[in-house]
Amino acid sequence: MVSLGTQSGQRSYLGMIGIALKMLMGDPVKYFGLVFGIGFSTLLMSQQASIFVGLLTWGANPVLDVRQAQIWVMDPRVKQPDQGQPISDQSLYRVRSVDGVAWAVPYARSAATVKTMQGNIAAVTLVGVDNQSMVGLPEENLTNSMAAIRGRNAAILDGNTTHLIWADGRDPIGEAVEINDNRIVVTGLTSSLTNFSGLPTLYMKYSDAIAITPPERNKLSFVLVEVKPGIEPEALAKRITEVTGLKALTRQQFAAAGTQFIIENTGIPISFGAAIGLGILVAVVITALTLAMFVAENLKNFGALKAIGVTNRQILVMVLSQALLVGFIGYGIGIGGTAAFLYFGQADPSLRGFKALGEIVGGSALLVMVIVLGSAYVSVRKVLKLDPAIVFRG
Amino acid sequence: MTLVSPQAAVIDQVIKEFPSGNDVIRVLHGISLGIDYGKMTMLVGPSGCGKTTVLSILSGTLSATFGTVTVMNERLDRLKNDDLVRFRRRKIGFIFQQYNLIPTLNVAENAAIPLISDGVAWEDALAQSGRMLDHLGLGPHKAKFPRQLSGGQQQRVAIARALSHNPALVVCDEPTAALDAASGQAVMALLDEAADDPNRAVLVVTHDDRIFSFADRIIRMEDGRVIDDGLTQSLPQKV
Repeated sequence: MVSLGTQSGQRSYLGMIGIALKMLMGDPVKYFGLVFGIGFSTLLMSQQASIFVGLLTWGANPVLDVRQAQIWVMDPRVKQPDQGQPISDQSLYRVRSVDGVAWAVPYARSAATVKTMQGNIAAVTLVGVDNQSMVGLPEENLTNSMAAIRGRNAAILDGNTTHLIWADGRDPIGEAVEINDNRIVVTGLTSSLTNFSGLPTLYMKYSDAIAITPPERNKLSFVLVEVKPGIEPEALAKRITEVTGLKALTRQQFAAAGTQFIIENTGIPISFGAAIGLGILVAVVITALTLAMFVAENLKNFGALKAIGVTNRQILVMVLSQALLVGFIGYGIGIGGTAAFLYFGQADPSLRGFKALGEIVGGSALLVMVIVLGSAYVSVRKVLKLDPAIVFRG
Repeated sequence: MTLVSPQAAVIDQVIKEFPSGNDVIRVLHGISLGIDYGKMTMLVGPSGCGKTTVLSILSGTLSATFGTVTVMNERLDRLKNDDLVRFRRRKIGFIFQQYNLIPTLNVAENAAIPLISDGVAWEDALAQSGRMLDHLGLGPHKAKFPRQLSGGQQQRVAIARALSHNPALVVCDEPTAALDAASGQAVMALLDEAADDPNRAVLVVTHDDRIFSFADRIIRMEDGRVIDDGLTQSLPQKV
């Protein structure tokens, strides 16, 4: 048998691959059927997976938006950042007293309704950040400075969601809104990461934010903590819990908890899992059936090739190369479609921040290759077992 | 009886059985025969007499249940499968009843398959097969696809494929069965020319009596046995 190691051996495989690809591409119905079938399923898998991961990230984004603090302290019953359960103001001082805390600041997060001067109403997330440090206010794409909210009842708005309050596309800076009968003026814009509620976020000084929310005994949602140099955040979080009885999580832990909350409490994993599963099913069915049909229709020709002296290994290489070709092209089309969807989708606020992560790109490639190579192998088994003498039978 | 060289291929006391449920069906009953160099040998007989089975065994695509098969002094029944495949690729040319050309390869590429599969560089293989196609009068059709050719032309492409690697044994299974009389005669003329090479033997399995006149020798089979093995004196003069 021809060895792969010799030059003529390598040439024989290259030559048979050339023949295999001509056999495949000469049958445009099956060729394009395979390519677009794989492309469509790749698109379905990678696009849906990207949206799924993007949605999960939304659960973590309120935490990830606060880059200055390494630890979040909260009521022990809180499971995710949008689940406000106020703690007493005294908690702030107790946390500050824990050894290892560099600084600790208050952070209020609650739902509110704004009424515009034009008569529109919109639900918003109202965030109160520390009056002095402004910790908790995203600095990205900040229009005007942080100082824009130092004035009384001034607010900085997430500029990505302006349209949810003013649909006419106006510049919101200088616009006044009403929250609980308090007049608030938008004095600046920032860019928040999209959160799961999808509501616009309005940032105010902590003292202003708690002053305009309905009266209740406690209004402090979280205490944001920075760790002294040389201390592990996990260790300090544990110590804060021991000392104060409050729940303390590192930024990464709390972000993960936000994601986990979505997984456990929504139907998103099931619906997206079904869509991704459908993509896999489409790939398997289209690839397996089309390759099986292709091999079955060419069975006599493969028999003739075997009789002529083409080895089983050469035939295996031929069919695998056909599968790899359609796999690569189909995958390229599918992943390209996903990239285009996500790129152009950035213009839509509801898709902002969605990305095709390397894991999704690589995972889709791996799945497609496993499917096409597996289907090819299943199809080619019949040829490998084929008696070359079949070509002499009518 | 044991047959030896100078024959290109010899089968001796070959029995072939096929399983059928719990039983076996014996289709060849201890056949011995040899195929001569430089001649066209025809294996004839009614359908089901075992002639295609003999062809398959002689060409190494089917193994005998009992008996020995020697082709060009190589015992095929002793070769490992990989060596047998390589032997077929290099030493034997195949012509099938239905041509079995790859429809998506052009004429030149179809004719070059044995060379390409043996590691000859693509361009060299095409050049070599192209010379054979020129010789067979198919030069103007090299870039065409099989569907663009008549049945006779397709079978001539198959002949080019069978001869492109200059094999010592050419086996033909009903080469004219799908052709009209004129095309069949043209194809047989080419095979006859190939058989004139003293270093080549041509074996044709057929029951097309229109082509018997091309035979140097006709072996008649019936029910898995050779019933007549003779030269063609009793047949019409070879054309």
